[in-house]
Amino acid sequence: MPAIITTIIILGVTGVVGAVLLYFVSRRFRVDEDPRVESIAALMPGANCGGCGLKGCRDFACACVAAGRLDGLYCPVGGDAVMKTIAGILGTDAAASEQRIAVVRCAGSCSARPRMYIYQGPRSCAVEAAAGAGTTGCAYGCLGCGDCTDVCQFGAIVIDPATGLPAVDPARCTACGKCVGACPRGLIELRGRGRRDRRVWVACSSRARGAVARKACSAACIGCGKCARTCPFGAITVTDNLARIDASLCRACGKCIGVCPTGAVKATFTMPKPVVNENV
Amino acid sequence: MKTFKLGGIHPAPSKITAGMPIEPLPLPRRAVLPLAQHIGAPAAPCVSVGDHVGRGQLIATAAGAVSAPLHASISGTVKAIGEVDGPAGYPMAAIIIEASEADHEADTVARDRRLAAEPQVVAADRTPDGIRDRVASAGIVGMGGATFPTVVKMGGKTPPEVLIINACECEPYLTCDDALCREYAPQIIAGVGLMLTACRGRRAVIALEDNKPEAAAALRAALGAESRIEVVQLKTKYPQGGEKQLVEAVTGRRIPSGCLPADVGAAVQNVATAYAVYAAVECGMPLIERVVTVTGSVAGRGNFLVALGTPLAELLRGLPDDCEVVLGGPMMGRAAINLDAPVTKGTSGVLVMPPAPAPEVEPCVRCGSCVDACPMGLEPYLLSTYGRMRMWDEAAAARVADCIECGCCSYSCISSRPLLDYIRVAKSALRRRK
Amino acid sequence: MLTFSPSPHIHRRRRVRGAMLHVCVALAPALITALWYFGLPALQVTLVSVAACVAAEWLLARYVLGRRDALPSTSAALTGLLLALNLPSSLPWWTVVAGAVFAIGIAKMAFGGLGCNIFNPALAGRVFLLISFPALMTTWPVAGGGFAAAADGATGATLLEQLKYGVTDCLSRSDMLLGHMGGSMGETGAVAILLGLVYLLAVRVITWHTPVAIIATVAVFDLLIGAPVADNLLGGGLLLGAVFMATDYVTSPMTGRGMLVYGVFIGAVTVVIRQWGAYPEGMSFAILLGNAVTPLIDMWLRPRRFAPARKEVAA
Repeated sequence: MPAIITTIIILGVTGVVGAVLLYFVSRRFRVDEDPRVESIAALMPGANCGGCGLKGCRDFACACVAAGRLDGLYCPVGGDAVMKTIAGILGTDAAASEQRIAVVRCAGSCSARPRMYIYQGPRSCAVEAAAGAGTTGCAYGCLGCGDCTDVCQFGAIVIDPATGLPAVDPARCTACGKCVGACPRGLIELRGRGRRDRRVWVACSSRARGAVARKACSAACIGCGKCARTCPFGAITVTDNLARIDASLCRACGKCIGVCPTGAVKATFTMPKPVVNENV
Repeated sequence: MKTFKLGGIHPAPSKITAGMPIEPLPLPRRAVLPLAQHIGAPAAPCVSVGDHVGRGQLIATAAGAVSAPLHASISGTVKAIGEVDGPAGYPMAAIIIEASEADHEADTVARDRRLAAEPQVVAADRTPDGIRDRVASAGIVGMGGATFPTVVKMGGKTPPEVLIINACECEPYLTCDDALCREYAPQIIAGVGLMLTACRGRRAVIALEDNKPEAAAALRAALGAESRIEVVQLKTKYPQGGEKQLVEAVTGRRIPSGCLPADVGAAVQNVATAYAVYAAVECGMPLIERVVTVTGSVAGRGNFLVALGTPLAELLRGLPDDCEVVLGGPMMGRAAINLDAPVTKGTSGVLVMPPAPAPEVEPCVRCGSCVDACPMGLEPYLLSTYGRMRMWDEAAAARVADCIECGCCSYSCISSRPLLDYIRVAKSALRRRK
Repeated sequence: MLTFSPSPHIHRRRRVRGAMLHVCVALAPALITALWYFGLPALQVTLVSVAACVAAEWLLARYVLGRRDALPSTSAALTGLLLALNLPSSLPWWTVVAGAVFAIGIAKMAFGGLGCNIFNPALAGRVFLLISFPALMTTWPVAGGGFAAAADGATGATLLEQLKYGVTDCLSRSDMLLGHMGGSMGETGAVAILLGLVYLLAVRVITWHTPVAIIATVAVFDLLIGAPVADNLLGGGLLLGAVFMATDYVTSPMTGRGMLVYGVFIGAVTVVIRQWGAYPEGMSFAILLGNAVTPLIDMWLRPRRFAPARKEVAA
């Protein structure tokens, strides 16, 4: 018999035996999965960011199907639209949740905070914070090494080279919360996006006494309480020399912005300048 | 000669202040006394702003089982009780005392007289309970840097088989324990005897590294009829003074992960603590001063007897403009950026390093230096990567919690990688998560 | 202005570059031996190999990876030197360049550069050439002496080929020790390589584990199967491989125990290939296989911990 025929026969038989084996093995070890997991997983953003508190998008889909309800399960990246579709698949309701965004509670830019010390070590906020209070006089503010930008999977938070502070891109931020956990100073907060993207917050986290905070940083909240007295809605409280604006009470009127002596109150909108009629 | 087995390094000893006598540093006019100079709950102030306090007077009491009281290190008026900046720039609660001219003079005269004269032995209760009470009320904590309240370590139900007195001083540069052993050997031996009595132990070992022959000779000479105490020299290797390494070097037993020396029948106390116990029990002196090594690239080097609360700036005469000030030794010491911060119970040395530019970090070439150097048998290269990549679970599984932060890995890395830094990040993340 | 940095504040003086320069110094005796016996062509191969490796790495880093700050590196020069010592001195220059580009481009940079490569780049380059140009790679000029090039066309078999194919007029032991025989440039002089080993151990760049494990395994295995031990140890690339190639930091295990396992593995595979395989020489393949199992060895043989964890104690 020519060698080629032997070869063909042997290969053919091997192939058939292999196919039969594979068939039975796949039957024997088949894993039945709820088809809903697959369809939910397909809806997910697929970033596996962990913003939901689970290990990844597939994990989230499994959790949804296992629970049968959506209590305590929310994908901040997909938002209400995705959650509504998932609720449809599961035959349940999704509670509407407010869209949130990361805000940085520090305004101590390079010009606001003079540099007083030199840090030598790896460029990591966590490491720098463990070694000392930072290169400026403020023990509460941004260290600027960018741990928050390192963990963001959406490229939504980047260090602005002009200020040395992280800046959040509202178009990209999904409020997954990774940066909140990464900041050793706890400067980043997830706040409601606010109506028509209008929001106001105190861009400072210093709990030092007013004079101390002011000496370290010209943009620090000194806890003077002017904003709290001005706020018509009682949304602002001052504790530990630091003002806080309660996002649920704030109507984004912007009155507090103008009265802040250091400019620590920041907003996503600019206040119209008071109209002064110069002709009169 | 004995030492611990796994890992370890041999950094240049750089003990430039070895052999320098202990000099009393002038008392400060203003003392800043942090309430948390020990591990555990911060002390609770028992004086008010405006009160006049005397040197050695109790100003804050222990708040809880693991805590220590605090005493005024100078006479003067309590100026403030509140937050001041600590050495690393982070705020901490402290009592601030300011001395008037008269206070300062009286204190200085009293201190000089005490140092010149033979110590005055006061009548004291030398029963185990009596010694423990005295140690607790004197505010004595571990003076090697860990600052764990000493009395807690003495109060175990079962007496330790061996009480190990740590006089290794394995950190480069530091010489304060060495100086103390050379000058106050009889007092240290007496202090060790008191500690043995207090914990009802039978045997104590004073462990030194073999690079301090004079200190060992002085201690041996001071032993006299004291048969319970033995002076043992260990082969010099860093981190010999680490608790787990020291217990292994002396007894051959290894403390399991997450356990204490007591679990293998040992207790470890620092040699400066032994001296403080002596001073507290025999002379009635609370812990208000300690020996501090000032060393490195600074003009006024030496071993100084410093009142607690003295601002660091007063220790650093002739400080260069650009430098790094380190509290403790170069391996484990922490950088200080605020020189108004005070000397505390755990400050063993103030080291001034020249501002060398940080070496360029290169990729890991898997040379294994860090694995060889790790005294805990860990894989620092791996733990550090886990820390950098925020893989906390993997880090925990690779036993990151066993790390004693001795710094051998970062020291030995030929690529200058910040190994320990990211291991610390992983450790603190795991601590927070618990 | 005060500086602050995390502890430790002091560091060991040795850096990667220093360790590599030590290896270069350790290679000097072997290189001088090669020049002595193989003459100017050996020098040409060495220079071409080093230049090609350094240039390849720099060009790839600069223009392909876009690293603006890329500099010619010591590690690439060392790879070039090791590659040269693994080649016959009669190799044409373009073949050397091809080997160098493969070593740096494929075996090193494609994996991520220094520290990320799985296989020893120099050996990968050599094996690439061995498979691509078998005739060129196994034609050995007969060693001359006194920096004189071997006569044109005078080529001979290596000792291992003689053993394999039953040639019996073996070389004298002193020739084998000094390197007066055919073979790759660096592998012939046993004494020179052992001098390098002593130097590397003295400056603590390598530990004894890997070389000793390889050499001992080969010796014991040869004794068991009745192969000539001395010829297997001294002829061919065993010593060069055991001392310089298998001890490469990046591609060998991290712990002493791991290195022993790795060395035994390489030694055993070498003997198997030499005795029963198609090639008379098996060291390069054995080391590359050893490189491939290194991650497994590192995973299985963790360093001995200081003490068991508490839950292990309780259990």
